[in-house]
Amino acid sequence: MRRLGPGMKKSKTGHSPEKAAATGALFKVGDQVRVRDMPYMFYTRSQMYTRGVAGTIAALTYKDLIPEEEAFNFDGRIEQYYIVRFRQKDLWPGYPFDNDTLQTECPHRWLEPAKN
Amino acid sequence: MSHTHSHGKPGADTHHKAAPMVEEITDYEVLEIAVRELAIEHGLFTAEDHRRFTEWAESIGPAAGSRLVAKAWTDPAFKARALKDGVKACKEIGVDWAEPTGVGTPSDYMEFHVLEDTPTLHHVIVCTLCSCYPRPLLGMSPEWYRTTNYRRRLVRWPRQVLAEFGLILPPEVEVRVEDSNQKCRFMVLPVRPKGTENWTEEQLEAIVTRDCMIGVALPKPGRTADVHPIQKARRPVESSHQEAK
Amino acid sequence: MSVDRIALLETTRNQDKTWEALAPHYGVTNPNPPWKTSLTAMCDCLAVNGALPALDRRKAEDELAETLYSDIPSPERELLALVHTMVSRGLVTEADLASRMSMVRARLETV
Repeated sequence: MRRLGPGMKKSKTGHSPEKAAATGALFKVGDQVRVRDMPYMFYTRSQMYTRGVAGTIAALTYKDLIPEEEAFNFDGRIEQYYIVRFRQKDLWPGYPFDNDTLQTECPHRWLEPAKN
Repeated sequence: MSHTHSHGKPGADTHHKAAPMVEEITDYEVLEIAVRELAIEHGLFTAEDHRRFTEWAESIGPAAGSRLVAKAWTDPAFKARALKDGVKACKEIGVDWAEPTGVGTPSDYMEFHVLEDTPTLHHVIVCTLCSCYPRPLLGMSPEWYRTTNYRRRLVRWPRQVLAEFGLILPPEVEVRVEDSNQKCRFMVLPVRPKGTENWTEEQLEAIVTRDCMIGVALPKPGRTADVHPIQKARRPVESSHQEAK
Repeated sequence: MSVDRIALLETTRNQDKTWEALAPHYGVTNPNPPWKTSLTAMCDCLAVNGALPALDRRKAEDELAETLYSDIPSPERELLALVHTMVSRGLVTEADLASRMSMVRARLETV
C-alpha cells in the first residue's frame, strides 16, 4: 500500500519526515473543496461516492508520501492529508435528513478548490 | 501457541482442568498452524515477528477505550488533551500506538482522533474500504463491523443501520459518519448520560461498551453489554458430536 | 482474482467443526478459538513485510466471504479466505499445505 521511495527511511511516526511543501498551497480549515474526478486507476484508497462532490476542509491531519503507483513522477513527493466534510444531501440524491454529514480523509492531490 | 489436549481415555487429565475445553483438534486449527509454519519457512515473516504480533493481539481490548472515555468525562483537562492529540492522550491511559513495531502496525498507524459527540452531533465510524478500526484502543473489530453489509450501508443509510442496532436519533441531530479510509483512526467520545452524576471512573467505564465507542449505541446506566439480534439462522449442532466425548 | 474452489480448502471447510458450533457443545464460553490471535498476527505480519498488503487481503476476503465461504462463520471464514488468497498468489502451494497439515495433525495427536 504505502511504500517508501528510494532512499527514504521510515520515521518514528511511520510517516516520511516533513520536507518541502506539497503540490501547491495547503488548504485551510473551512475551505470549500471538490473531490477531483481522476481516473480510477490512480485511486487505491478512494471511495467512488465522493467523486466530483464539494465539501469543506474540517481538519489537516498529516503529511505522507504519494504512493508510487499514484505519483506522476517518482520523486518521493510528500503531500498533506485532510479530513473533508460533506453534506449527506450532496452525496446522495434525495437524502432526507438536512443536517447529516459524512467525513472522510483525502490527500491533497484528490482535491481542488470549489467555486461557490 | 501451546494448549493441552485430552484425548482417548475418559477421565485422563480432565479432573485437573479449571474450565471446559473444546476437546478435539479441528482441521481449522491444523490449517492455521500449517500455513503459518510454511509462511515462516518461505520467509514471508519471522517467527519472532509473529510472536510479537500475537502477544500484542492478545493484549488489546475495549477496556482501554472505556478508560479513556470515563477519564474524559471526569477530567476536563484530560478531555481537552485527548481532543487535541489522541495518540499522546492514549499514553496517559497506558496505550502506546507505536506497539508492537515502534511505528505502529500496518493497519493502525499512529494517527488517532477522538470524535466528541454533543447533544446535537452524533458520530458513527466505518471503514468502507476494508474495516480499519482503532485496535490499540478497542481491540479486535466485531464481525458485523467488517461485513460489506455494514460498510456499504452505513455511509448511505446511517439512520437505518443505527435503527437496526436499536438507536434512533431525532432528525435535528446531525448524524456524522466518519469513514476512516486512510491512516487516521477514530473513536467516539459519547455524551455522558444523565443519571451518572458522582459516579466513579470505574462505574462509568462499565457502561462505556465497544458499541458506544463505534457509535452504534449510546451509553446509559444499567447498560453494561453490547447485545445484537441474531442476524441469520445457524444450523444446529449435529448429533454426531456426541461421539467426540 | 480467481474464485475457483481450492480442493484442499473444500475438504477442510466444515460448518460442524467451527468454533461457533463446537464451543456451546463443549460448554466453552470463550467467544473465539485459541488460534484467532495467531491468525490476526499472521495477517499483520504478512502486511508489515509486504508479502500480502492489508487492503489486498481484505478485498479478496470480501469477495470470498460473499461467494465461496459465505456459509462459514467468523473466524474460520477469515482463515479460509486468507489461505485461499495465499494459494492464489503462489505464496504457499496446496500440496505443501496438505502434507504439512498431515504432519501437524500427527504431531498434535501424539500425547
